[in-house]
Amino acid sequence: MEKKIREALRYLGYGRNAADDRTYALIEDAFANLKKEAGPRSVSRIFDMSRTEDGRILIGKMNIESRSLSRNLAGCSQIVLFGATLGAGVDRLITRTSLTDMAKAVVVQACAAALLEEYCDECQLSIGEELRKEHLYLRPRFSPGYGDFDISYQEPLMRMLDCAKTIGLTMTDSYMMTPTKSVTAVIGISPVEDRCPVEGCEACDKTDCAYRR
Amino acid sequence: MILERLGKELLFFDGGMGTLLQEKGLEPGELPETWNLTHGDEIEEIHRAYIQAGSDIILTNTFGANALKFHDDGFSLEEVVRSAIQHVKNASRDAGNGREIYTALDIGPTGKLLKPMGDLDFEDAYEAFKEVMILGEQAGADLIHIETMSDTYELKAAVLAAKENTSLPVFATTIFDERGKLLTGADVPSVVALLEGLRVDALGINCGMGPDQMFPVLEQFLHYTSLPVIVKPNAGLPKQRDGRTVYDVSPEEFALDMQRIVEMGACVAGGCCGTTPDHIRKMTESCRGMKLQPVTEKNFTVVSSYGQSVFLGEGSKIIGERINPTGKKRFKQALKEHDLDYVLREGITQQDNGAHILDVNVGLPDIDEPALMKEVVQELQSVTSLPLQIDTVDAVAMERALRIYNGKAMVNSVSGKQESMDKVFPLIQKYGGVVIGLVLDEDGIPADADGRVRIAEKIIAEAAKYGIRKKDIVIDALAMTISSEPEGAKVTLETLRRLRDEIGVCTVLGVSNISFGLPCRPVVNAAFYTMAMMNGLSAGIINPSSEDMMKAWYAFHALMNLDANCERYIGKYAPIQSEAKASAGTMSLQAAIERGLKEDAHNITAVLVQTQAPLDIINSQLIPALNTVGDGFEKGTVFLPQLLMSAEAAKSAFAVLKEKMDKSGEVREKKGTIVLATVKGDIHDIGKNIVKVLLENYSFDVIDLGKDVPPETIVDTVLEREIRLVGLSALMTTTVVSMEETIRQLREKAPWCKVMVGGAVLNQDYADMIGADFYGKDAMQSVHYAQKLFGTES
Repeated sequence: MEKKIREALRYLGYGRNAADDRTYALIEDAFANLKKEAGPRSVSRIFDMSRTEDGRILIGKMNIESRSLSRNLAGCSQIVLFGATLGAGVDRLITRTSLTDMAKAVVVQACAAALLEEYCDECQLSIGEELRKEHLYLRPRFSPGYGDFDISYQEPLMRMLDCAKTIGLTMTDSYMMTPTKSVTAVIGISPVEDRCPVEGCEACDKTDCAYRR
Repeated sequence: MILERLGKELLFFDGGMGTLLQEKGLEPGELPETWNLTHGDEIEEIHRAYIQAGSDIILTNTFGANALKFHDDGFSLEEVVRSAIQHVKNASRDAGNGREIYTALDIGPTGKLLKPMGDLDFEDAYEAFKEVMILGEQAGADLIHIETMSDTYELKAAVLAAKENTSLPVFATTIFDERGKLLTGADVPSVVALLEGLRVDALGINCGMGPDQMFPVLEQFLHYTSLPVIVKPNAGLPKQRDGRTVYDVSPEEFALDMQRIVEMGACVAGGCCGTTPDHIRKMTESCRGMKLQPVTEKNFTVVSSYGQSVFLGEGSKIIGERINPTGKKRFKQALKEHDLDYVLREGITQQDNGAHILDVNVGLPDIDEPALMKEVVQELQSVTSLPLQIDTVDAVAMERALRIYNGKAMVNSVSGKQESMDKVFPLIQKYGGVVIGLVLDEDGIPADADGRVRIAEKIIAEAAKYGIRKKDIVIDALAMTISSEPEGAKVTLETLRRLRDEIGVCTVLGVSNISFGLPCRPVVNAAFYTMAMMNGLSAGIINPSSEDMMKAWYAFHALMNLDANCERYIGKYAPIQSEAKASAGTMSLQAAIERGLKEDAHNITAVLVQTQAPLDIINSQLIPALNTVGDGFEKGTVFLPQLLMSAEAAKSAFAVLKEKMDKSGEVREKKGTIVLATVKGDIHDIGKNIVKVLLENYSFDVIDLGKDVPPETIVDTVLEREIRLVGLSALMTTTVVSMEETIRQLREKAPWCKVMVGGAVLNQDYADMIGADFYGKDAMQSVHYAQKLFGTES
């Protein structure tokens, strides 16, 4: 089974259970509609990073206190700031579908999340390929809100990537990304090749999360 | 004055600012605008270099200087804007050599997304732009240059702010990608339509791409616009090198491409990110003295939304007429109960059925039409990208809607009455729009085509006094029913033909009036529709759910070779042959609901109600089905999509039963009324919507307050309706704060009211901490809690 379908089922709460034909039909339909409405875009920039004596992480003007991010970036002296979005068309599709059929709406929502993850994985792989030529390797991507990496870092991160201008990604006053199907992340660049470079979920400390793989 | 030279001689903008500042030490994430006060000499040096390179127009270093983006405790916005303008003035004095240099107040986007997709209110964006623009004019700017806009809505707020609060010329440029779209989806004609409607002085493209990638987009601009075009490319596409962003088009290559751009027809040329004084010098050296292509008047009749444009005069367009309470009991009820979801569904259905434009009429006695019109227009634009037609006789409602509308709207309508024209044309002049002119005046509706054509001419002539061109007027030839006007259809058809052939104006018609008072109206309507299209009807205002009308439309376009290879026709009607209707004969309603078969549930119920009482059907089939599925969900054998498919199937069965019960006056007892809301600051509402569907299935009345709901609104609703249970949803830690505040206010003002909460970040501990009465880990839990509270557990 395609990974993004498996992921969509996971978001829908199926866990390892098999879904029925009608749910599969909804999933197929949802991916078809998403294909029409999604305008995936991404932006990434490489920055130097350093650490203060008390373990804070410095990236440009960002001064971050986060043990989980710190652990994730152990041994790195550069990072990639990454932003990606599926665009506002997907939000409209979800709103529109919610008005006419909630079963379809939850499936579109789950499929959009799966599509976004797939897109981020692809972007990350291609960034990683470039760096590999220089014998540099990517760590799993780590987003504001994971572990103790405070969500408020979303703001400077998006400013440093100029997300509004480059990919049309903005943030509300309560740090929610708009369009909603979007991701921002810090990806460590390490001279040592280790661990799975793509998947983000395992890197998260929130072990009681209902959606953990 | 720059306007005396604009479009007559080639004018040069300056080049990039940000990249040069970074070279001088500006850090990533630092606000470049603070440099006006901390590094004034460096800023003036850059301006001087551009003036010496030949720029006529210099942009102030104010791209991000607005209250929403500029947060620096050290400096006020006023200081920043004043010093920024002074730097350009100083540089012009020092380096201008007597040449006239224009100071352009640079205005970039706020960096926030506007409602309904984001959280920034249109008027708040407007206020932020207004503040800077007033400061800029006071400080001596010669023009306002709005640039790098990727959202037509924000662009509209900026242009309106400039037009309403300053007397400066307004230039506006947008950032297109290689597919010819803005980030928010708009195409070139919709941007041109919007900006021309708002009457900017020049428009165009900047940033995003290098000069050669801009050729195709520029070509489109030149094809559609009647205004001078500005082009300011980057020095190529940004690339990463050693952790820095670099642009690699050389000054020589840039100059060569810009020459081509001027040859194509641009009137104002400059550079954006990555361009330097060297790029600008090479450009001015190689382009100075080039003759401009004349700026010509284009004749497209086009309406637009944030995401698409619709051209009238190409085939016949369908304007959906269903968002209108006239003669519709259910629709009236929805408006009175403020059931906007019902209104939005009417819009979605028409779009699915093939409408190109949606007419929006919410006029009812005893209703605040201006407020409702504004709200409906905004909500519709969050679910459909079809352009809207603002249909009202209330000038206040018309203005509110035109102001808030994202795009260039269609307006229904103005008539040949002087009073009507005096009222409507100033609004079109200000906001732009394509307005429908009704061929009636103080003397009524002329009985013959001559009279109608004369009124059309009068409307067009009066509009011209406001600078509104014929292309922005569409004449309604008026259809009068043939049951009382035997010549009615013939007069209308002749009027259509003459308007097309003699006046050269687009036309529109409310088609179905023709059959008023006759039996089997669709037969007459469809035939008349075809005849009208044959006589030049640019757009029919019809019901896209009417199969007869749609058949006529598809057939006409296939017959007249307006549907290449009959593709649309085949796409529409070929599948019908093969679609075998599944027989629902043997399935029970209970089984249909358990399996989540929406249409079957509907059809089976329609049969059942003929022999059984609705309440019996509910008790013997619906409730057992819902219980089975609900139990399965809790045991982990049924999953969320299946639970909701069943809920939707039950809903479609209930709809049939409700119709029957309404007719017989029978009432299904409601179990209680529950208020649901996603809390303030939170814009994710899917969880709340799931809970709503299930509660409604279990006979609860739900008042859905929507998303991003302030605590006060929730408290007021609870007090007003004496609500016993509120359900709150929040997705993130940052918005649980509003949930806590809402609970606090409820405790204070409505201590009797219970609160249940749910959402991704919540758990029992968290819910206890913020003082909720109940935490529902899934939607079924909230149903059980509500049943327990209202004592209805079965």
